Amino acid sequence: MSTDTNDKTNRLKPKDFITVGIFTAILFVVEFACGMLGYIHPFIVASYVVMIPLVGAVPMMLFYTKVEKFGMITIMSVLLAIIMFVTGMGFLGAPLIILSGVIADLIAKSGKYKSFKKTVISNGIFSLWICANYFPVIVSADSYRKDLLDGGYSAEYCNNLFMAINYKTIGVLLILCFVFGCIGAVIGKAIVRKHFEKAGIV
Amino acid sequence: MRLKLDPRTKLYMILVVSAVVLMSATTTFLWTVRIIMTLIPVILLVIEKRYSSALWFAFLYTVALIVTFMFLSEESTGIFKALLTGYSGIVVQFMPALITAWYVVRTTKIGEFMSAMQKMHVPDGITISLAVVMRFFPTIREEYSAISDAMKMRGISLGGGNAVKMVEYRMIPLLFSCVNIGDELSAAAITRGLGGEVKRTSVGELRLRAADWLLITAFTAVAVLFVIFKYIL
Repeated sequence: MSTDTNDKTNRLKPKDFITVGIFTAILFVVEFACGMLGYIHPFIVASYVVMIPLVGAVPMMLFYTKVEKFGMITIMSVLLAIIMFVTGMGFLGAPLIILSGVIADLIAKSGKYKSFKKTVISNGIFSLWICANYFPVIVSADSYRKDLLDGGYSAEYCNNLFMAINYKTIGVLLILCFVFGCIGAVIGKAIVRKHFEKAGIV
Repeated sequence: MRLKLDPRTKLYMILVVSAVVLMSATTTFLWTVRIIMTLIPVILLVIEKRYSSALWFAFLYTVALIVTFMFLSEESTGIFKALLTGYSGIVVQFMPALITAWYVVRTTKIGEFMSAMQKMHVPDGITISLAVVMRFFPTIREEYSAISDAMKMRGISLGGGNAVKMVEYRMIPLLFSCVNIGDELSAAAITRGLGGEVKRTSVGELRLRAADWLLITAFTAVAVLFVIFKYIL
């Protein structure tokens, strides 16, 4: 593909926007599928930080092979924030989602979107968007608890949920998210190499 | 009769519904407001002659409401109750947002959506990507069911109980077809002049009609009522 560095070719093209749209949709399906499991037990909610980065890394790494210009990862995070809001998961997490998207984009840019090491770290940072799911639990703990109880959740579910996720554990969850984002990136890259590079898609 | 709503009205509906489902209903009155709000998109789906999806949504929502009110409370424990909580929790919480989003995605032409976003001065990048996301959810579902069929034909049901394989067998073919569809999509879009230097024009003119204003008023009322009765009174 084009490697020119003048401004004209550095602008995002419709093809790039379409790529972003497709991978955002896939990533959201992954998050939604994992999210469904969370209703079984609150500890599964806490394990999103392991599950989603690992599963989501496969499409993400394929996405990273298609990223060549600044902005694509940022737009993806904006879209995720919009979709999270539309599907009723709140707007408290939006700053975190977009911030992690921008930082991930900058890190990947510093490796010119080619460096594998930078991509791994970038994916780790990008994975932090998953923690936005937890924000209502932490920021407005008391009222959220009441909301859940009123909404028909059992007290047992709530107790476990707040035991697993509170302002003390959020640090651990963020770190786990980052670590598994990085591990996922390595695994995802191997899978991409195994299936897609052989087939000549990438 | 075909009711033609402005995409901006539809987006406003999504905005209000998503905001309202964030605030849980605590009193009977609030529940009533919320249920009425959920009925509006159902009625709109009926008007659009999408009877089966309207019925399905109404049915699932009603069952979940009954389960929530009749059987579940703070004291419920056990795995069966937990699953039941899960099901009705998802449905009651997210169904209003889901059905509104479904209605909007199904009844908005991409062209209308794009020109509405352009009128609201949303950057092109966001508009195009968002339009692709909207169009893509049904595609993913179709592709996924095709993959399941192919797996059934070869006698692979769950990937032999191996969780990694289960994910891999589904994810890889899905990614393959999505990447190919993406290439075709961008070829088609560029042929139609997407991303050109000139400002896009639209064949259909967007205008807010009486029905639009009626719905905007109704949804504003819902939002205002919810905020007042939940937080102020």
